[in-house]
Order: sequence, then C-alpha cells, then structure tokens
Amino acid sequence: MKQDIDVTGMTTALVRETSVRETYVAPSAEAARRDERALVIAAQRGSSEAFAALVRLHQRRAYAVVRAIVLTHEDAEDAVQEGFLHAFRALDRFLPDQPFGAWLYRIMANAALDLVRRRKVRDADELPETVPVLFRDPGEADELRRRLGDALTKLTDRQRSVIVLHDVEGFTHGEIGVMLGIPEGTARSDLHHARKELRRILKDIRSDL
Amino acid sequence: MTELRLENGSGGGDDDDRRVARELREMYAAPADESYWTELETRIMHRVSELDLGWWAELDRWARPALIAAAALLIAASVAMFRARQTETEIAYENILAPGPAPQETAVRPTLEGDRDATLRYVLAHPNP
Repeated sequence: MKQDIDVTGMTTALVRETSVRETYVAPSAEAARRDERALVIAAQRGSSEAFAALVRLHQRRAYAVVRAIVLTHEDAEDAVQEGFLHAFRALDRFLPDQPFGAWLYRIMANAALDLVRRRKVRDADELPETVPVLFRDPGEADELRRRLGDALTKLTDRQRSVIVLHDVEGFTHGEIGVMLGIPEGTARSDLHHARKELRRILKDIRSDL
Repeated sequence: MTELRLENGSGGGDDDDRRVARELREMYAAPADESYWTELETRIMHRVSELDLGWWAELDRWARPALIAAAALLIAASVAMFRARQTETEIAYENILAPGPAPQETAVRPTLEGDRDATLRYVLAHPNP
C-alpha cells in the first residue's frame, strides 16, 4: 500500500537524532516521536518502506542491546535480524501510542536471550575446543582490554548484560529491567555486584602492568 | 601503560568505574562503517520480504478477520436457532390453548352423512348411466 508520508526525509532526521546519546531531551524530540508514530502506523498498514525506515532508525541501538547480551559480534548480528523479524510479525499487536523503541528493544533482548540459551545447549553437546573468541581485539596489544575481556567472562550472563547496558549504552535501571524481564531493583543489584566483581578480578592489574 | 587504577576491595570508586566503562565502550563499540548498516538493513528487509510473501503470513493476515467473521456467524446462527425454536414453542402453546374444531365438526356431521348416503344410494340405483 502506498503511503502519503516522506519516509526518507523522516528517517534521515530521526537517525541523526537517535545517534546522539539520550542524555538530554532534544528540542525536536516531540516531532521525532510523532514521525516515528507515523512510520509505525504506515508499517502496520503494510508499507515495507516505513518498516525499512524503522529498521534504519533503530538498528544501531538494537545492535547495542543484543551485543550486551550475546558473546560475539556474529551472534549480535543474528539476534538483531531475528529481533526485527519478530517485531515485524508482532507489529499488528503494537499500540502506536506506546514508545516503539522500548517495545522493540525488549523484543531484541528476548531474541538475544533465546540465542544465548540455544548456544548454551549447543555448546554443552560439543567439545570445549569450539568455545568462541569472546571479544574481538585484532592486535591483542592492549593488555588491559584483554584482561577486562577475561574478567567479563567470569560474570554471569545477566551481570554482564546489565553492566554493558548501563555503563556502555546508558540505559536506566528501569529500562534494563523491562528489557531483561527483571525488577528494577534486581537490575540495580546486578550492576552493583558486576562492578564489585570486576574490581575484584582486576585488582591486581596495577601491580602487573 | 594504562590509566586504569583499581583499588583493593569493593570500594573502587567512581573513577575506576568510569575507566572500566570507557574500556567497555570501546570493546562493545558498534561497527562505525556506514556501509555495514546499509548492508544489515538490506539483509533484514530481504528476510522480512520473504516472510511477507509466505502463504502462512497471508493466513496470519486473514486470521483475525476470519475469527471475527466466524464469531459473528456463530452468533447470528445461534440467534436464528433461538428464534426458530421460540416460534415453534409459541405455535405449539397456542395450539394447545386454542379451542379445537371438534364440536363444530360434530354439529355438521349428520348433514354430511346424509348427503353422502344419498349419493351412495343414487349410484347404486343407477349402475349404468
């Protein structure tokens, strides 16, 4: 169905806006929300251009969410694609007045969690030699980063997800709770324990380096 | 060699957390190349279009209207059946309550019987017309 909206123009403006870290409310935030709502409604009416615009708008943030949960870049790519497919299938059930991003990122988090569960089942059936390289660092020159990568593998999946979503991606405890399906207090507590654990694991770095 | 300074115990402080966060941000940085995102979007939309063309998607699209239509049909059929049954009951009830034609029939029977007998007698008396 042909829609009477300027999908391309809208998307360019929205992508520019969401690229900026969400630490302040942009003056045109309200306009951006209206545009996004129009895109969602158009996509619900069958416009693939509108859905593509939504993909363009949210894929970076979606990648960041799933990347915090899965272990590798390749898994993050798979989870993002699965997440968008789930979102496309469920689009009819989404209420356009709700924030689309929050709804989408929860779907993304679920897709990533599913993938992690599947990987665990698969890895349990395979030999340990197939354990993936967790964090790509082509040069391996940075000793600190290597150690940090190792330290992160010592955290639980949820602790790692929470610390990355909070400290790296800037999500609030409440948003993280919604995404991961846990109470806000649990997200807060996970973050505290993750930081404490990282400090404990990395406490000897100063003397070693 | 590194700017990371972690203290013993759990009281690392905000500076340490910020440094770790900075390192984490670099480790988890999304691909910066714009062409990567264009390609990812293309892949996603390709999969979405495959999904959209599938017959199951078409079925899924029609599932809700079909369910609503089926429910409406069911309600209409139920109402029609209820009304038909109610009408039957009313007719049966009225038939029971309505005065029967029996007494009237009794009153005319002698006359009818008389006419029939006369006809029979005429036929028997004139076998060859």
